[in-house]
Amino acid sequence: MGTELGNYKSVVSARCTDKEILKGAQDGGIVTQLFAFALESGIIDGAIVAGNGAEPWRPEPVVATTRAELLAARGTKYNLSPNMSLIKEVTRSYGMDKVGIVGTPCQMQALRKGQVYPIGLRDVGDKIALAVGIFCMENFPYQSIIQLVEDHAAMKMESVKKMEIGKGKFWVYGKRGQVVQLPLKVTHKYEQPGCHVCLDYVANLGDISTGSVGSPDGWSTVFVRSRNGDSVWAKAIAAGCFETQPMEKVKPGLELVTKLANEKITKNKKTLEGRATFGVGKGLRNPYL
Amino acid sequence: MIPLTKVVEISPTTRHEGHSKLVLKVNEAGIIETGNWCSITPVRGVEKLAIGKTMEQVPKIASRVCGICPVAHTLAGIESMEASIKCEIPRDAKLLRHILQLGNRLHSIALHDILILPDMYLPGTDMKINPFSAEEPVRSVAKRIQRIREIGQTLCQLSGGEAIHPSNPRIGGMYKACSPVAKTKMYDLAKEGLVLAHEQMDFMIAILRNFQNRDWSEVGGMKVQIPKNLGYHNQGYMATDPFYGSSSLDDNPTWDMDRFKEVRPWDWYMGETEVTLAEPRYPIGGTTPVGTKVNPQMEACTGIPLYDGQPVEVGPRARLVKYKGFDEKGTIGQNIAREMEFTDCLYSMIDAIDEYNPAGKVLADFIPQGDGSLGWAANEAPRGTDVHIAQVKDGKVQYYSMLVPTTWNFATCSAALAGAPWQLAEVVVRGYDPCVSCATHMIVLDEDERIVAQRLIQ
Ligand SMILES: Cc1cc2nc3c(=O)[nH]c(=O)nc-3n(C[C@H](O)[C@H](O)[C@H](O)COP(=O)(O)OP(=O)(O)OC[C@H]3O[C@@H](n4cnc5c(N)ncnc54)[C@H](O)[C@@H]3O)c2cc1C
Ligand code: SF4
Repeated sequence: MGTELGNYKSVVSARCTDKEILKGAQDGGIVTQLFAFALESGIIDGAIVAGNGAEPWRPEPVVATTRAELLAARGTKYNLSPNMSLIKEVTRSYGMDKVGIVGTPCQMQALRKGQVYPIGLRDVGDKIALAVGIFCMENFPYQSIIQLVEDHAAMKMESVKKMEIGKGKFWVYGKRGQVVQLPLKVTHKYEQPGCHVCLDYVANLGDISTGSVGSPDGWSTVFVRSRNGDSVWAKAIAAGCFETQPMEKVKPGLELVTKLANEKITKNKKTLEGRATFGVGKGLRNPYL
Repeated sequence: MIPLTKVVEISPTTRHEGHSKLVLKVNEAGIIETGNWCSITPVRGVEKLAIGKTMEQVPKIASRVCGICPVAHTLAGIESMEASIKCEIPRDAKLLRHILQLGNRLHSIALHDILILPDMYLPGTDMKINPFSAEEPVRSVAKRIQRIREIGQTLCQLSGGEAIHPSNPRIGGMYKACSPVAKTKMYDLAKEGLVLAHEQMDFMIAILRNFQNRDWSEVGGMKVQIPKNLGYHNQGYMATDPFYGSSSLDDNPTWDMDRFKEVRPWDWYMGETEVTLAEPRYPIGGTTPVGTKVNPQMEACTGIPLYDGQPVEVGPRARLVKYKGFDEKGTIGQNIAREMEFTDCLYSMIDAIDEYNPAGKVLADFIPQGDGSLGWAANEAPRGTDVHIAQVKDGKVQYYSMLVPTTWNFATCSAALAGAPWQLAEVVVRGYDPCVSCATHMIVLDEDERIVAQRLIQ
């Protein structure tokens, strides 16, 4: 394919140098550190992140305007966080001119679409100052996560410290040290169906995109994509925010990222094609046409 | 025998919102004896379709009556529902509505400047102003107008969620409180706007005074005498507040429903007649050809609201007459009053922003669902008093009526046309800053009695 990783200016393996951020981060703390730096240096007024909702591990989009609020939103919540729902409000009652936002590849697509075709998004597009995309293979409804954690992993939602999908397993880490791993084939039926037509793995439309795959534990793979992303990344590096290693030097490296991206796109393209002939003599809609 | 009175029709009129026309009976000197200014915007019947819908939804529909003053319809709509269900909203919600209201007025005045400038002359010259010209001094003025509009619209976005069709207002208050950041931004914008509004007001008043001191104006190559009493009328004025409005929830409401009634166009407009004067030079494209049949009684798409049995003038001058002792009549006086609201509007807004507490609540704790009582709310829209009347029961709208500024002004302005050369009729009309879409949202309900409101007062 060759286009599965999107356009980018550079790719590195990185980890933030701030020990406090790193402690609660999912991987290398790239997202939180980038926003914290951008906030302190005036690049953004605040950022839309997946905050903690009313129920354990149920994200709720929030506008973080302080370092503390950013830190509180660290970590991956494997269920839907409609971050784009705040994209207009943040320029309204929140009064922001320079907006940061984190999101999965589909959320980056929504963002860019809103900038190019601003239907009902007056005066929003020019206020996006930093879009950080996170890699995403698939997502789950909240009910699915409850089922996976409470039934399959036999752990109460409240007692979970971290969840992770990696090395072909769904990992649930308990606060008291328990570790449960579920084979991914158990999780498949819980995936949100909309993810099965998604053709983007590494957030091709972020200014910067990051994920865990490709880099060692505690480190992140980072694609620097747009001119804006390049400038923010360079400033953050100059400010000493990150340690980096050349991507070629780390294991498993870009090869695995490429392989997974390919798998996702190939599988989902097939689903899309299947939709065309879903019915007898008629098909289902294809949003890419 | 050739009649001394001729009929000329200008259709459509231009440089105002919506679709309207002028049917004018003129004497041999071209001076208007009877003027009929009427809406020919298709009736959309918002009031009828509101019935049975939820009280939350109807004001959002009413907002869509007009994109220049959607704030007025949103707020009057919501507040008429709140008046019907008797819901008091928190103070900080009121302040946000106030900021929204004035942000819209600011932008609307600036927009109107663009519409009237082409009628006016650069002082000391016989050159009319083209606001789109790249030449100075006009270029800087146009840029200032655009910046003022941008400031007004941004203030609306911050306080009201959206500049065109504000999303933040809801029954019981507002959806969202403004953050401290938004408050600071609003303050800075208002301060910047104040400086520009002072400059713009001074500029416009100088332009208007210059026009007032001229003897003639050129229209389509015709040199037309400007009468000193251009646009004078003897109708009364109606206003409910210098800035915001009033509602039936107030301790001392400033509008009186008993003094209002609405009649159909045929009580006020002329009947069928024929165009007997045409002027191909009238810009752009000439007037209606001779021989065309016209019938304002049948064609006018608005009802005529009366206060104390008479059409009244509403708008900036009405507000200034009522609350500031303003006494200048005519078209120029009217335009000057509008310019004077520029800075007033910002001073009042700055006070509201200062008072606003971002930590305060913006939604009433309890929102009653209504028992069918009648409530009304008047909002002082940029163009004048916008009264909405509602009855809500169990959260649903049972009755809804909108008495919008331009509807009030149609008959008044028609009266004010008398005495003007017909070529300046549109200048008189533009003094009212007409919003014809606003005026034509309605339908007269009671065909037999001709009067709409009496039935619901009973
Ligand atoms: C549903 C999902 C699937 C993923 N799949 C993969 C994958 O297959 N391979 C891979 O390498 N990486 C995947 N990731 C990304 C990875 O889990 C980390 O989010 C990423 O590496 C960032 O880590 P960090 O330490 O830099 O971020 P941190 O500093 O920990 O910050 C994480 C940020 O992500 C935001 N966030 C958390 N949950 C969500 C959510 N549901 N929706 C939107 N934003 C959210 C948080 O608010 C926070 O700002 C996935 C993430 C999600 C949400
Ligand atoms: S798989 Fe695609 S559609 Fe599903 S959450 Fe991830 S980016 Fe969005």
